[in-house]
Amino acid sequence: MNAAVPIPWFRTIVVVTVVALGLTFAFSGLRIYVWEALLPFFEWMETTWFGVIGQTWGAAFAVVEAFHLLAMALLGGAVLVSDARLLGLAFTELPARQVLDPAHRLFVLALVLALATGVFMACGVAIKIYYLPVFWFKMLALATGVLFVFFIKRPLLHDGIEQLNPWLVRLVAIASVMLWFTVAASGRWIGFSG
Amino acid sequence: MNQLIYNFAAWLDSHRWSTLLHESFYMYNWVETTHVLTLMLSLGMLFLVDLRLLGYAFPDVPASAVAGRLKLPMLVGFTLMVVTGLLLFYAIPVRSAQSVWFRIKFLLLIAAAINAFLFHRRMRESVAAWDTDQRAPRRLRAAAALSIIFWVLIVICGRLIAYNWFDCEYDQPAFVSAVAGCIAGQELY
Repeated sequence: MNAAVPIPWFRTIVVVTVVALGLTFAFSGLRIYVWEALLPFFEWMETTWFGVIGQTWGAAFAVVEAFHLLAMALLGGAVLVSDARLLGLAFTELPARQVLDPAHRLFVLALVLALATGVFMACGVAIKIYYLPVFWFKMLALATGVLFVFFIKRPLLHDGIEQLNPWLVRLVAIASVMLWFTVAASGRWIGFSG
Repeated sequence: MNQLIYNFAAWLDSHRWSTLLHESFYMYNWVETTHVLTLMLSLGMLFLVDLRLLGYAFPDVPASAVAGRLKLPMLVGFTLMVVTGLLLFYAIPVRSAQSVWFRIKFLLLIAAAINAFLFHRRMRESVAAWDTDQRAPRRLRAAAALSIIFWVLIVICGRLIAYNWFDCEYDQPAFVSAVAGCIAGQELY
Protein backbone atom coordinates (compact mmCIF):
# COMPACT_ATOMS: atom_id res chain seq x y z
CA MET A 1 0.00 0.00 0.00
CA ASN A 2 3.04 2.25 0.33
CA ALA A 3 3.80 1.79 -3.38
CA ALA A 4 1.46 4.62 -4.32
CA VAL A 5 3.18 7.13 -2.05
CA PRO A 6 5.58 9.19 -4.19
CA ILE A 7 9.03 9.67 -2.72
CA PRO A 8 9.90 13.37 -2.86
CA TRP A 9 12.93 14.24 -5.03
CA PHE A 10 13.11 10.58 -6.13
CA ARG A 11 14.71 11.26 -9.52
CA THR A 12 17.21 13.71 -8.04
CA ILE A 13 18.19 11.18 -5.36
CA VAL A 14 18.74 8.48 -8.00
CA VAL A 15 20.84 10.79 -10.21
CA VAL A 16 22.98 11.99 -7.28
CA THR A 17 23.48 8.37 -6.16
CA VAL A 18 24.53 7.29 -9.66
CA VAL A 19 26.96 10.24 -9.95
CA ALA A 20 28.39 9.45 -6.48
CA LEU A 21 28.84 5.78 -7.41
CA GLY A 22 30.45 6.79 -10.70
CA LEU A 23 32.91 9.12 -8.98
CA THR A 24 33.74 6.47 -6.35
CA PHE A 25 34.43 4.00 -9.17
CA ALA A 26 36.55 6.54 -11.10
CA PHE A 27 38.76 7.50 -8.15
CA SER A 28 39.20 4.09 -6.52
CA GLY A 29 41.30 1.03 -7.32
CA LEU A 30 38.16 -0.68 -8.57
CA ARG A 31 38.58 1.12 -11.91
CA ILE A 32 41.99 -0.53 -12.49
CA TYR A 33 40.68 -3.90 -11.30
CA VAL A 34 37.77 -3.80 -13.78
CA TRP A 35 40.06 -2.59 -16.58
CA GLU A 36 42.46 -5.49 -16.04
CA ALA A 37 39.58 -7.96 -15.90
CA LEU A 38 38.32 -6.69 -19.27
CA LEU A 39 41.50 -7.64 -21.19
CA PRO A 40 40.33 -11.20 -22.07
CA PHE A 41 37.08 -9.72 -23.39
CA PHE A 42 38.95 -7.33 -25.69
CA GLU A 43 41.23 -10.18 -26.84
CA TRP A 44 38.11 -12.21 -27.62
CA MET A 45 36.64 -9.28 -29.60
CA GLU A 46 39.52 -9.48 -32.09
CA THR A 47 38.77 -13.16 -32.71
CA THR A 48 35.10 -12.60 -33.59
CA TRP A 49 33.86 -12.31 -37.20
CA PHE A 50 33.77 -8.54 -36.88
CA GLY A 51 37.33 -8.53 -35.56
CA VAL A 52 38.66 -10.78 -38.33
CA ILE A 53 36.90 -8.81 -41.11
CA GLY A 54 38.03 -5.50 -39.62
CA GLN A 55 41.65 -6.61 -39.46
CA THR A 56 41.91 -8.37 -42.82
CA TRP A 57 39.69 -6.31 -45.09
CA GLY A 58 40.70 -2.65 -44.83
CA ALA A 59 38.05 -1.48 -47.31
CA ALA A 60 35.23 -2.89 -45.15
CA PHE A 61 36.67 -1.17 -42.08
CA ALA A 62 36.93 2.15 -43.96
CA VAL A 63 33.34 1.99 -45.26
CA VAL A 64 32.00 1.14 -41.78
CA GLU A 65 34.04 4.09 -40.45
CA ALA A 66 32.29 6.32 -42.99
CA PHE A 67 28.87 5.09 -41.82
CA HIS A 68 29.95 5.77 -38.23
CA LEU A 69 30.62 9.39 -39.31
CA LEU A 70 27.26 9.58 -41.12
CA ALA A 71 25.52 8.35 -37.97
CA MET A 72 27.42 11.01 -36.02
CA ALA A 73 26.21 13.67 -38.49
CA LEU A 74 22.57 12.60 -38.09
CA LEU A 75 22.90 12.32 -34.31
CA GLY A 76 24.47 15.80 -34.19
CA GLY A 77 21.72 17.21 -36.38
CA ALA A 78 18.98 15.77 -34.15
CA VAL A 79 20.69 16.98 -30.96
CA LEU A 80 21.33 20.48 -32.35
CA VAL A 81 17.77 20.95 -33.57
CA SER A 82 16.14 19.83 -30.32
CA ASP A 83 18.58 21.89 -28.24
CA ALA A 84 18.08 24.92 -30.49
CA ARG A 85 14.33 24.64 -29.75
CA LEU A 86 15.02 24.39 -26.00
CA LEU A 87 17.31 27.43 -26.17
CA GLY A 88 14.63 29.38 -28.04
CA LEU A 89 16.83 29.75 -31.14
CA ALA A 90 14.56 27.96 -33.65
CA PHE A 91 11.00 26.73 -34.12
CA THR A 92 9.75 28.81 -31.19
CA GLU A 93 6.44 29.28 -33.03
CA LEU A 94 5.79 25.51 -32.67
CA PRO A 95 4.95 23.53 -29.51
CA ALA A 96 8.18 22.00 -28.16
CA ARG A 97 6.84 18.44 -28.43
CA GLN A 98 6.31 18.86 -32.16
CA VAL A 99 10.06 19.32 -32.60
CA LEU A 100 11.51 17.32 -29.67
CA ASP A 101 9.69 14.02 -30.31
CA PRO A 102 10.62 13.55 -34.00
CA ALA A 103 14.15 14.77 -33.24
CA HIS A 104 14.41 12.15 -30.48
CA ARG A 105 13.30 9.38 -32.88
CA LEU A 106 16.08 10.38 -35.29
CA PHE A 107 18.52 10.57 -32.38
CA VAL A 108 17.70 6.97 -31.38
CA LEU A 109 18.06 5.78 -34.98
CA ALA A 110 21.45 7.53 -35.32
CA LEU A 111 22.59 6.21 -31.93
CA VAL A 112 21.77 2.61 -32.92
CA LEU A 113 23.68 3.01 -36.21
CA ALA A 114 26.63 4.63 -34.41
CA LEU A 115 26.71 1.86 -31.79
CA ALA A 116 26.49 -0.93 -34.39
CA THR A 117 29.28 0.52 -36.55
CA GLY A 118 31.26 1.44 -33.43
CA VAL A 119 31.18 -2.15 -32.13
CA PHE A 120 32.39 -3.41 -35.52
CA MET A 121 35.27 -0.93 -35.54
CA ALA A 122 36.16 -1.67 -31.91
CA CYS A 123 36.44 -5.41 -32.70
CA GLY A 124 38.95 -4.68 -35.48
CA VAL A 125 41.30 -2.70 -33.21
CA ALA A 126 40.28 -4.04 -29.78
CA ILE A 127 43.71 -4.47 -28.20
CA LYS A 128 44.91 -1.10 -29.49
CA ILE A 129 41.96 0.83 -28.07
CA TYR A 130 42.06 -1.15 -24.83
CA TYR A 131 45.36 0.60 -24.01
CA LEU A 132 44.22 4.06 -25.21
CA PRO A 133 43.03 6.41 -22.42
CA VAL A 134 41.08 8.48 -24.99
CA PHE A 135 38.94 5.43 -25.90
CA TRP A 136 37.88 5.10 -22.27
CA PHE A 137 37.21 8.86 -22.09
CA LYS A 138 34.92 8.44 -25.09
CA MET A 139 33.13 5.46 -23.52
CA LEU A 140 32.67 7.48 -20.33
CA ALA A 141 31.32 10.46 -22.30
CA LEU A 142 29.06 8.17 -24.36
CA ALA A 143 27.65 6.44 -21.28
CA THR A 144 27.07 9.84 -19.64
CA GLY A 145 25.38 11.11 -22.81
CA VAL A 146 23.04 8.12 -23.10
CA LEU A 147 22.16 8.20 -19.38
CA PHE A 148 21.64 11.96 -19.61
CA VAL A 149 19.23 11.65 -22.54
CA PHE A 150 17.17 8.71 -21.26
CA PHE A 151 17.19 9.38 -17.51
CA ILE A 152 17.40 13.16 -17.24
CA LYS A 153 16.54 15.03 -20.44
CA ARG A 154 13.60 12.96 -21.71
CA PRO A 155 11.86 12.42 -18.34
CA LEU A 156 12.35 16.09 -17.44
CA LEU A 157 10.82 17.33 -20.70
CA HIS A 158 8.17 14.61 -20.86
CA ASP A 159 5.31 16.75 -19.61
CA GLY A 160 6.26 19.77 -21.71
CA ILE A 161 8.73 22.56 -21.10
CA GLU A 162 6.20 25.30 -20.37
CA GLN A 163 5.96 24.64 -16.63
CA LEU A 164 9.73 24.28 -16.16
CA ASN A 165 12.09 27.06 -15.13
CA PRO A 166 13.38 28.50 -18.47
CA TRP A 167 16.93 28.53 -17.12
CA LEU A 168 16.72 24.82 -16.28
CA VAL A 169 15.59 24.13 -19.86
CA ARG A 170 18.50 26.18 -21.24
CA LEU A 171 20.93 24.41 -18.90
CA VAL A 172 19.71 21.01 -20.14
CA ALA A 173 20.20 22.11 -23.77
CA ILE A 174 23.72 23.45 -23.14
CA ALA A 175 24.71 20.30 -21.19
CA SER A 176 23.36 18.15 -24.05
CA VAL A 177 25.34 20.00 -26.76
CA MET A 178 28.53 19.89 -24.65
CA LEU A 179 28.14 16.18 -23.90
CA TRP A 180 27.63 15.09 -27.49
CA PHE A 181 30.39 17.38 -28.72
CA THR A 182 32.71 15.71 -26.20
CA VAL A 183 31.65 12.24 -27.40
CA ALA A 184 32.33 13.15 -31.06
CA ALA A 185 35.60 14.99 -30.40
CA SER A 186 37.05 12.26 -28.16
CA GLY A 187 35.98 9.72 -30.79
CA ARG A 188 37.86 11.59 -33.50
CA TRP A 189 40.92 11.75 -31.25
CA ILE A 190 41.04 7.93 -31.03
CA GLY A 191 42.17 8.02 -34.67
CA PHE A 192 45.10 10.29 -33.83
CA SER A 193 46.28 8.19 -30.88
CA GLY A 194 48.17 4.97 -30.46
CA MET B 1 45.74 18.39 -67.51
CA ASN B 2 47.31 15.98 -64.99
CA GLN B 3 50.67 17.71 -65.49
CA LEU B 4 48.99 21.05 -64.78
CA ILE B 5 47.35 19.72 -61.60
CA TYR B 6 50.67 18.21 -60.49
CA ASN B 7 52.53 21.49 -61.14
CA PHE B 8 49.94 23.43 -59.14
CA ALA B 9 50.10 20.92 -56.25
CA ALA B 10 53.93 20.97 -56.34
CA TRP B 11 53.82 24.77 -56.19
CA LEU B 12 51.54 24.63 -53.11
CA ASP B 13 53.84 22.02 -51.62
CA SER B 14 56.81 24.42 -51.93
CA HIS B 15 55.10 26.84 -49.51
CA ARG B 16 56.56 26.93 -46.03
CA TRP B 17 53.08 27.16 -44.46
CA SER B 18 52.02 23.96 -46.21
CA THR B 19 54.90 22.05 -44.63
CA LEU B 20 54.35 23.68 -41.23
CA LEU B 21 50.66 22.74 -41.24
CA HIS B 22 51.39 19.18 -42.34
CA GLU B 23 54.05 18.68 -39.69
CA SER B 24 52.16 20.31 -36.82
CA PHE B 25 50.58 17.46 -34.87
CA TYR B 26 48.02 19.56 -33.02
CA MET B 27 47.22 22.13 -35.74
CA TYR B 28 46.73 19.54 -38.47
CA ASN B 29 44.62 17.32 -36.24
CA TRP B 30 42.54 20.28 -35.03
CA VAL B 31 41.83 21.29 -38.62
CA GLU B 32 40.93 17.70 -39.51
CA THR B 33 38.79 17.28 -36.39
CA THR B 34 36.94 20.51 -37.20
CA HIS B 35 36.41 19.24 -40.77
CA VAL B 36 34.91 15.99 -39.43
CA LEU B 37 32.90 17.39 -36.51
CA THR B 38 31.34 20.08 -38.69
CA LEU B 39 29.53 17.20 -40.41
CA MET B 40 27.10 17.41 -37.48
CA LEU B 41 26.20 20.96 -38.50
CA SER B 42 26.30 20.73 -42.29
CA LEU B 43 25.23 17.16 -43.06
CA GLY B 44 23.18 16.93 -39.86
CA MET B 45 20.96 19.81 -41.03
CA LEU B 46 20.94 18.63 -44.65
CA PHE B 47 19.83 15.13 -43.65
CA LEU B 48 16.99 16.57 -41.54
CA VAL B 49 15.72 18.64 -44.49
CA ASP B 50 16.03 15.68 -46.90
CA LEU B 51 14.31 13.33 -44.43
CA ARG B 52 11.51 15.87 -43.92
CA LEU B 53 10.82 15.89 -47.68
CA LEU B 54 10.92 12.10 -47.77
CA GLY B 55 8.38 11.99 -44.93
CA TYR B 56 10.67 10.44 -42.31
CA ALA B 57 11.23 13.43 -40.02
CA PHE B 58 9.18 16.29 -38.50
CA PRO B 59 5.95 15.33 -40.32
CA ASP B 60 3.95 17.94 -38.39
CA VAL B 61 6.32 20.82 -39.13
CA PRO B 62 5.85 22.66 -42.47
CA ALA B 63 8.61 21.75 -44.91
CA SER B 64 9.35 25.42 -45.59
CA ALA B 65 9.89 26.00 -41.83
CA VAL B 66 12.36 23.08 -41.58
CA ALA B 67 14.26 24.13 -44.73
CA GLY B 68 14.17 27.84 -43.85
CA ARG B 69 15.31 27.51 -40.24
CA LEU B 70 18.07 24.98 -40.90
CA LYS B 71 19.50 26.81 -43.91
CA LEU B 72 21.72 29.22 -41.96
CA PRO B 73 23.41 26.63 -39.66
CA MET B 74 23.78 24.34 -42.69
CA LEU B 75 25.52 27.06 -44.71
CA VAL B 76 27.75 27.95 -41.75
CA GLY B 77 28.66 24.25 -41.49
CA PHE B 78 29.42 23.91 -45.20
CA THR B 79 31.52 27.11 -45.16
CA LEU B 80 33.59 25.72 -42.27
CA MET B 81 33.95 22.41 -44.13
CA VAL B 82 35.16 24.15 -47.29
CA VAL B 83 37.70 26.28 -45.36
CA THR B 84 39.07 23.33 -43.35
CA GLY B 85 38.95 21.11 -46.46
CA LEU B 86 41.05 23.63 -48.42
CA LEU B 87 43.52 23.78 -45.51
CA LEU B 88 43.78 19.97 -45.46
CA PHE B 89 44.45 20.00 -49.23
CA TYR B 90 47.03 22.77 -48.76
CA ALA B 91 48.84 20.72 -46.09
CA ILE B 92 49.23 17.63 -48.34
CA PRO B 93 48.67 18.96 -51.88
CA VAL B 94 50.45 16.46 -54.17
CA ARG B 95 49.14 13.28 -52.55
CA SER B 96 45.61 14.71 -52.30
CA ALA B 97 45.55 15.93 -55.93
CA GLN B 98 46.64 12.46 -57.05
CA SER B 99 44.26 10.56 -54.80
CA VAL B 100 41.68 8.52 -56.70
CA TRP B 101 39.24 9.02 -53.81
CA PHE B 102 39.81 12.77 -53.68
CA ARG B 103 39.09 13.03 -57.41
CA ILE B 104 35.87 11.01 -57.12
CA LYS B 105 34.87 13.05 -54.07
CA PHE B 106 35.46 16.28 -55.99
CA LEU B 107 33.18 15.14 -58.85
CA LEU B 108 30.53 14.01 -56.37
CA LEU B 109 30.69 17.41 -54.63
CA ILE B 110 30.00 19.12 -57.97
CA ALA B 111 27.09 16.72 -58.62
CA ALA B 112 25.71 17.34 -55.10
CA ALA B 113 25.99 21.11 -55.56
CA ILE B 114 24.09 21.00 -58.89
CA ASN B 115 21.43 18.77 -57.33
CA ALA B 116 21.12 21.14 -54.35
CA PHE B 117 20.76 24.16 -56.67
CA LEU B 118 18.02 22.54 -58.78
CA PHE B 119 16.34 21.12 -55.64
CA HIS B 120 16.30 24.52 -53.96
CA ARG B 121 14.80 26.20 -57.03
CA ARG B 122 12.16 23.50 -57.54
CA MET B 123 11.21 23.62 -53.86
CA ARG B 124 10.91 27.41 -53.80
CA GLU B 125 8.60 27.33 -56.81
CA SER B 126 6.25 24.65 -55.54
CA VAL B 127 6.41 24.53 -51.72
CA ALA B 128 3.21 26.53 -51.15
CA ALA B 129 1.17 23.71 -52.70
CA TRP B 130 2.40 20.92 -50.40
CA ASP B 131 4.07 22.68 -47.42
CA THR B 132 2.10 20.86 -44.72
CA ASP B 133 1.90 17.47 -46.50
CA GLN B 134 3.79 14.66 -44.79
CA ARG B 135 5.77 13.99 -47.97
CA ALA B 136 6.98 16.21 -50.78
CA PRO B 137 5.97 15.56 -54.42
CA ARG B 138 7.76 12.72 -56.19
CA ARG B 139 10.37 14.79 -58.06
CA LEU B 140 11.45 16.55 -54.89
CA ARG B 141 11.58 13.26 -53.00
CA ALA B 142 13.85 11.90 -55.73
CA ALA B 143 16.11 14.95 -55.38
CA ALA B 144 16.20 14.51 -51.59
CA ALA B 145 17.08 10.81 -51.93
CA LEU B 146 19.76 11.69 -54.47
CA SER B 147 21.17 14.29 -52.09
CA ILE B 148 21.46 11.68 -49.30
CA ILE B 149 23.10 9.17 -51.69
CA PHE B 150 25.61 11.77 -52.95
CA TRP B 151 26.61 12.74 -49.42
CA VAL B 152 26.92 9.14 -48.22
CA LEU B 153 29.31 8.53 -51.15
CA ILE B 154 31.17 11.80 -50.46
CA VAL B 155 31.76 10.85 -46.83
CA ILE B 156 32.90 7.34 -47.86
CA CYS B 157 35.36 8.81 -50.41
CA GLY B 158 36.54 11.39 -47.87
CA ARG B 159 37.23 8.64 -45.37
CA LEU B 160 39.06 6.54 -48.02
CA ILE B 161 41.46 9.41 -48.86
CA ALA B 162 43.32 8.46 -45.67
CA TYR B 163 44.19 5.03 -47.13
CA ASN B 164 47.22 4.71 -49.44
CA TRP B 165 46.20 1.68 -51.55
CA PHE B 166 46.18 3.62 -54.83
CA ASP B 167 48.92 6.20 -54.15
CA CYS B 168 51.20 7.10 -57.08
CA GLU B 169 54.14 6.38 -54.77
CA TYR B 170 53.57 2.62 -55.31
CA ASP B 171 53.38 0.59 -58.50
CA GLN B 172 49.79 0.78 -59.76
CA PRO B 173 47.91 -0.80 -62.66
CA ALA B 174 47.70 1.49 -65.70
CA PHE B 175 44.01 2.24 -65.07
CA VAL B 176 44.58 3.37 -61.47
CA SER B 177 47.61 5.39 -62.56
CA ALA B 178 45.53 7.15 -65.21
CA VAL B 179 42.64 7.92 -62.84
CA ALA B 180 45.01 9.16 -60.13
CA GLY B 181 46.91 11.27 -62.69
CA CYS B 182 50.33 9.89 -61.78
CA ILE B 183 53.17 11.54 -63.71
CA ALA B 184 56.03 9.37 -64.97
CA GLY B 185 59.20 10.22 -63.07
CA GLN B 186 57.51 12.65 -60.67
CA GLU B 187 59.69 13.67 -57.73
CA LEU B 188 57.06 14.67 -55.18
CA TYR B 189 54.40 12.45 -53.63
